[in-house]
Amino acid sequence: MKPVACLLSLLFLSSPLLAADYTMGKGSTLGFTGTFQGEAFKGRFGDFQAKISYDPADLSSASFDVTVHLASANTGDTDRDESLPGSDFFNITKFPTAHFVTTRFRQEGGKVIAEGTLDLKGVSKPVNLEVTFAPREGGATLDVSARLNRLDFGIGSGDFADTSTIGAEVTVNAHLELESKT
Amino acid sequence: MAIKSTETQWGGMAKLLHWLMALAIIGNGIFGLIMVEMPRGMGKLNAFALHKSIGLTVLALLLLRVSWRWFDRKPRDEPMPRWQSLAAHLTHGVLYLFMLALPLSGWIMNSLHGYPLQFFKLFNLPALAEKNEDLSELAETAHETLFWVLLLVVIAHAGAALVHHLFERDNTLLRMLPFARLRQRKSGDSP
Repeated sequence: MKPVACLLSLLFLSSPLLAADYTMGKGSTLGFTGTFQGEAFKGRFGDFQAKISYDPADLSSASFDVTVHLASANTGDTDRDESLPGSDFFNITKFPTAHFVTTRFRQEGGKVIAEGTLDLKGVSKPVNLEVTFAPREGGATLDVSARLNRLDFGIGSGDFADTSTIGAEVTVNAHLELESKT
Repeated sequence: MAIKSTETQWGGMAKLLHWLMALAIIGNGIFGLIMVEMPRGMGKLNAFALHKSIGLTVLALLLLRVSWRWFDRKPRDEPMPRWQSLAAHLTHGVLYLFMLALPLSGWIMNSLHGYPLQFFKLFNLPALAEKNEDLSELAETAHETLFWVLLLVVIAHAGAALVHHLFERDNTLLRMLPFARLRQRKSGDSP
């Protein structure tokens, strides 16, 4: 092998290593905002894991892989929180987790959009995230937000599909405190 | 039937507000007692939303009624002993207080629970208090107790009107009934 080719192949082989890998640190949150009877309410998932690989200079190598334990949903209202695990909403006995994995990243205006697939309650659908990434000492902060239609995933079925009481659109927000893998 | 009240009889507006509110308050109270027993679900959520909307309507009607009463003349009392007249007016005052306290306590209780308050799915009203689960239990008891006490006062009020109608044979009840003809006073009676 010629030295130039050798050097080139080394460069290509090593390129995935350039995208920084991160672990999720303390202070990371995953929340959502829905509407009920004309008023917004906020919820949190207390239990989720995220594997993040991201380099703002090389989006082609970036990837997000997030698993959410749906039983950890908390919206601060007892009646609602007792309904969420049931079959009309998350149906956690059958679908205990939701999973999101990115398929590609693209630049749109000044924003970075992460395209991916959300697997929730047995339904797989494309979901796009708006990504804000800020490097800091020893890691980075990553903020993402997505808007999705709860009915696409059958969240709130039967009578609960009535969007005049429970709004169709749900905003999902995550704030991750990332620590560099060493 | 004239809109405004006369010297001897209540006008159309006073009658309409009286009977509409009587129906709304008692109906909504019974509805409230039924809805709390419903199984959890969308039906129950909608029942509560309707109960709240009716309660807010009562509150709006009360404002209209008090304004109208201030603007309208009042028929003079039917001939009756002074204690009866005093008791009647006291009861009316108490009823007005309940008409205010009942929806207001519901609104406060709803705020303490942290629930939204929507008027017939049209618009939302602000919370009157910060969310507080402990106080909301107290407000719930107050809201229900107010209804039971109101019911007692209503029974006294309606009972007195019936006594006047059946035994005194005066116009106390008739002048509040829609489309009723007043009784002519017996000769020799002086108001």
